[in-house]
Amino acid sequence: MFKNLKVSFFLACKSIKRSNIGTTVLTIAIMSLIFVNLIFLPSIVEGIAETIEQQARDYMYGNILIEPKEDDFYIDNVDSLQKKINSLPGVLGTAPRYMVGATFTHKDKFIGGTLHSASPADEIVVTKYHEGMISGEYLSESDTDEIIMGLDLTGEEDKEGNEADLGGVKVGDKIEVTFSNGVIKEYRLKGIFSVSKMGMDSFAFITEKEMESVLGSNNQASQILIKLNELGTEKEFKKKFMELGIKEKIKTWEEKTAGITEVVVSSFRIITLISTIVSLIIAVVVIFVIIYINTIYKRKQIGILKAIGIDQRVIIRSYILQALFYCFSGIIIGSILLWILLSYLTTNPISFPVGTIIPVIGTSLIIQSILSLLIVSLIAGFIPSWKTARESILKAIWG
Amino acid sequence: MIKVKNLKRIYHKGIVEVHALKGVSFEVKKGEFLGLMGPSGSGKSTLLHQLGLLDTPTGGEIFIDEINILKLSENEKTLFRLNQLGYVFQEYAILGELTALENVYLPLLMTGKKKKDCINLGMEMLDKVGLGERAHHLQRELSGGEQQRVAVARALVNNPKILFADEPCANLDTESSRNILELFRKLNEELGQTILMVTHEEWHKKYVDRIIYLKDGLIEKKGVQDGH
Ligand SMILES: Nc1ncnc2c1ncn2[C@@H]1O[C@H](COP(=O)(O)OP(=O)(O)OP(=O)(O)O)[C@@H](O)[C@H]1O
Ligand SMILES: [Mg+2]
Repeated sequence: MFKNLKVSFFLACKSIKRSNIGTTVLTIAIMSLIFVNLIFLPSIVEGIAETIEQQARDYMYGNILIEPKEDDFYIDNVDSLQKKINSLPGVLGTAPRYMVGATFTHKDKFIGGTLHSASPADEIVVTKYHEGMISGEYLSESDTDEIIMGLDLTGEEDKEGNEADLGGVKVGDKIEVTFSNGVIKEYRLKGIFSVSKMGMDSFAFITEKEMESVLGSNNQASQILIKLNELGTEKEFKKKFMELGIKEKIKTWEEKTAGITEVVVSSFRIITLISTIVSLIIAVVVIFVIIYINTIYKRKQIGILKAIGIDQRVIIRSYILQALFYCFSGIIIGSILLWILLSYLTTNPISFPVGTIIPVIGTSLIIQSILSLLIVSLIAGFIPSWKTARESILKAIWG
Repeated sequence: MIKVKNLKRIYHKGIVEVHALKGVSFEVKKGEFLGLMGPSGSGKSTLLHQLGLLDTPTGGEIFIDEINILKLSENEKTLFRLNQLGYVFQEYAILGELTALENVYLPLLMTGKKKKDCINLGMEMLDKVGLGERAHHLQRELSGGEQQRVAVARALVNNPKILFADEPCANLDTESSRNILELFRKLNEELGQTILMVTHEEWHKKYVDRIIYLKDGLIEKKGVQDGH
């Protein structure tokens, strides 16, 4: 079937070589921009999704989250459970948290929220709040009368009109905490963190010891965050934990975030889809118009080719090859443009409501983009040349 | 070599039928240099197109070397044109994106020969038509006469059984015309090339072996006469 591919190739090469350089450059430029467009927007959306997931792992769930059994409020025997889990190779650490509802008051301002207990030595291994302190310091093991809070709780001084915070309290200020069991205690604000806009900035932490002394609880937790050595091994470890005889609910971060990311990302995905379709339509039109004009302009040439005995399939293939040339040149130039764009964005990430975004380009996205552009070029290259090459010889040569 | 029986070609222009050929019968012998003459619109080009498999007649039969060429499939016709026939058209029908040499060796390439051999044979052919030095020029860099000689070289490169030429000198000055005609004459005499040439000019008669006169789509009875 392809025995005459050589001739098609020959004709295509000569045609490209001797075509108008301006048209060629313009075509390739358009194709490369289309390619950039096919990749770029989805990569941003993917970046958003990854940022959300990363934050969920770093601040909310760890790799795997253990929650109380059905009908239970708390996990019991936390120490032995922690020991069991920590003994597994591949587990970096565990961080139990006890969570209670609380009201935070400073002067005339107050706000309700969830107070977490943290065991600092464990938290530092599992979460990254300690890296997100924007003023003051993170909790240390021996702290009793100290609290750290997220920026959304403390508020910022200059920003007015936001009722849902403490109006810009500072490190060192006294915060009155009313626990759900009625205990009221005053804490010194030791540090303020800002880690994520996904809700974690309205968390507050006191040490585990302090929480136990206030609540009189012992060896209990609302959840245990587990950090694994390697991302992607969650399912495997979930199984191992179950085999260890853990009866509590075991959820991977993926299971916990599935809903959240979907909500945030799905609307972006619709925009991406529209943009992808528009790009592809533009690609079809551009290649189609170029090949079409090319073939109309070369009708006579095609007629002559047929008259001297060149198989029309050879002629059609030569036009398809030209379309592929524009396609691949566009992909190559587009990849270079993307690479420049991405290197820029890696050093200067875009600030989004969910955090700073670094575009993420997956292999499947690349393959998908190349394939769609390829198919589009094949179709757009085939139809006009097929239509023209099918014409009768005399009509093609003499109109 | 060529046998034409009662060949008819009717064109449909809207509801009007144009009878371009009304039943033409003749034979051409191998090695003959045949001239086709007649007034404008008499059907000369139409006849040549039917013989050259560029068009399909409405009726009648054409045999080339005993092959009923009207029975061939499209693909077989394409191959037949490539391997057995050569054309020179009235306009300079060479390919603008190819150099003179590339124009000439393209049909060879199509037959599956190695590119190097194609180039060598093409070059040889260009030398034969006296254009060796202009091998690497594009169409726009060649004069009309030179383009027509490229077309001749291309038509001959696959050693066709028959060379068809439709007023090959129509757009050429006398000097270039003589060049082409003498080339044909030489090919005919030295290589025994069978040639069918349509022409208008009285002075071309001396180059051909025999002339067929067409009028209104028919061969004029008295019209068959010897050339030079
Ligand atoms: N494609 C076509 N459609 C309709 N009519 C056609 C077509 N081609 C030729 N004709 C008609 O057929 C007749 C013969 O045309 P043809 O081109 O064969 O004449 P010719 O002898 O070659 O004339 P000339 O010396 O002017 O080239 C003319 O009346 C012409 O108008
Ligand atoms: Mg004519």
